[in-house]
Amino acid sequence: MAKVLLIEDDGETATEIMAELVGRGFEVDWAATGIDGLDKARRGEPDVMIVDRLLPGMDGLTIIEALRKDDVRTPVLILSALGAVHDRVRGLRTGSNDYLTKPFAIIELVARIEALLRQPADNRDTTLRVGPLELDLLSRTAKRAGRPVELLPREFRLLEYMMRRKDQLLTRAMLFEEVWNYKFVPQTNLVDVHMGRLRHKVDKPNESPMIYNVRGAGFILRAPA
Amino acid sequence: MSVAPASSSVRLPEFIRTTTFRWTLVASGALAFCILLMFGFVYWQTAAYMTARVDGILAGESVMIAGAAPERRLKAIDERLSQDPRRIRLAGLFGADGGRIAGNLESLPDRLPTDTPPRRVSVVRIDGEGREEQTARAVARRLQNGEILVIGRNVDELSELARIVERALEFGLIPALGLSLVAGALLSLRAQNRVETVNNKVQRIIAGDLRERLPTQGLNDPFDKLAVIVNGMLDEIEALIRSIAGAGDDIAHDLRTPLTRVRIGLERGRESAQTLPDLQSVVDQAIGRLDQSLAIITALLRIAEIEHSRRLDGFSDVALADVVREVGDLYEPIAEDKRIAFKVTADVEPIVRGDRDLLFEAVANLVDNAVKFSPEDGCVELALTRRGNECVVRIRDSGPGISASERDLVARRFYRSDNSRHTNGLGLGLSLVSAIAKLHGFRLTISSGPHCVVEIACPSLVNRPTAEPAPVYGAGVAR
Repeated sequence: MAKVLLIEDDGETATEIMAELVGRGFEVDWAATGIDGLDKARRGEPDVMIVDRLLPGMDGLTIIEALRKDDVRTPVLILSALGAVHDRVRGLRTGSNDYLTKPFAIIELVARIEALLRQPADNRDTTLRVGPLELDLLSRTAKRAGRPVELLPREFRLLEYMMRRKDQLLTRAMLFEEVWNYKFVPQTNLVDVHMGRLRHKVDKPNESPMIYNVRGAGFILRAPA
Repeated sequence: MSVAPASSSVRLPEFIRTTTFRWTLVASGALAFCILLMFGFVYWQTAAYMTARVDGILAGESVMIAGAAPERRLKAIDERLSQDPRRIRLAGLFGADGGRIAGNLESLPDRLPTDTPPRRVSVVRIDGEGREEQTARAVARRLQNGEILVIGRNVDELSELARIVERALEFGLIPALGLSLVAGALLSLRAQNRVETVNNKVQRIIAGDLRERLPTQGLNDPFDKLAVIVNGMLDEIEALIRSIAGAGDDIAHDLRTPLTRVRIGLERGRESAQTLPDLQSVVDQAIGRLDQSLAIITALLRIAEIEHSRRLDGFSDVALADVVREVGDLYEPIAEDKRIAFKVTADVEPIVRGDRDLLFEAVANLVDNAVKFSPEDGCVELALTRRGNECVVRIRDSGPGISASERDLVARRFYRSDNSRHTNGLGLGLSLVSAIAKLHGFRLTISSGPHCVVEIACPSLVNRPTAEPAPVYGAGVAR
């Protein structure tokens, strides 16, 4: 069971987050102040931390800086009401692994925590495999059970990202940030359209689906049962 | 202004403690010093002149009398003394032993060496009117027969001169000083009054009356100039506040609309939902509308962030053609879904100075709009071309376009033309693009009439070498 340390001064937000995470099988420890949080981060050895930036009398970034200085590499997600690009850049530069701006959908938070816990291993293989799906990183080609799948470069990038994170919920924002590397919020459902294209090529009508749309949340790539 | 120490029981009046008054004191002091110096110089020069003149007379007379025969000498002395209505002449003849022989001096003055230039001594004058001690310039000569001749002249005139100068000072300096102090106090009081008036106005402005302005007297003095500057600043602040208030109204309107829908939807769902799926669908709708409100806030903050970010902060060389091609790649499937013919061309490969992410966002926003407003089976063109010595990103769509009257309004926050009310969007896209263009110093133009054409014109740095030769006019004429 993964251990999450939540450092958040607002009790109500903390309660909601804890309820959701506990419901999903996480073990959650909560600290309401920076000092307490730092203490628990050092002693409790959490697997992942959620840190609010605006804590009473302390910037959450200070905690991360202190931990990184002590060579504590626990992945950290920053929660912040400060959503400007430079705030975000500063947050990520401090050594945090992800940055989520308030207000957020709780499912977005959960998906990102899962992603942090399952950071893809530094895989040197030149072929990625999920069930019948095969992606050759050298020849930039894809096959599903022997059937060649013709992909445009952008579709190839998207599929590679998903295969490295199989069985994980990937939200639209995560995909847009990570695959396209864009930091703005598109007005149109860009990700859905691109995903639709990819799905059309990966899952033919007679095949069992591998790309799942999780309503209101995002997408998952899974080997067929 | 410093506060008087607690121990001091008497507080000076306010106007005395002002800087103006202190400067007046300093100026008055300097004036007094200068006057004293001047009068002193005049006195000194006059006294020196008079003394030299007296000494010359004394030397001449003494030589003349000393050179006369002894019998003529007594007569000359008598004559000299008799023709002296002002009683300033002094003369005396003394025997070798110092005994008085003739003249109006009681005794041979002490400290008057013989045969030296005239000097200042104290003498006692005796004549018909009595005995009187006087200060005089005198010269003593030893005669051939051993007698000593003393010729002198009362110089109380000089003391008289000093007194005249003193009186002039009394009558001139003291009133002048008093006058300057009064003037200083008046100036100080006047300045203080103006500060007080300004303070009253400022207090009203602080209290929220932004229409209030500082008074000016049309005198073109520093105070007036300052007031004019501050009033200019107040004009600017007032305009800003009004625009913020306007934006606030817009925000309130566009946030209230989805929030009202959320509220109504939730209320209705609570009353009427019979099953869990019913309720869930109501809640989903509510969440969707809340997300819309949040997206508006995010977009507004984003525009504010761009508007307030400093130009050139984090700017680098951006290959604009790459940005255009990437946007094309991103939107191609969306256009295709709507069966819109989407054509992306880049004739030139300019490098511009800017923020790559923001430029991408601007172009993406314009393409987003174009695709959104073009009807199915329409067409959208995204082109990068050169015009003169600038490069132009042009987005043309086959949508209804923008009327001339609306053209200036669309770049304003939240403005959405009536034609677009049924299309999803936050009405913030163009103001975002406008803010980004402004930050870069690029020109954003929106054509009116059907088939909207939006252009961003930017000065380019260099033409990156391409595999294909650039158009002939491109390389030569452009720079």
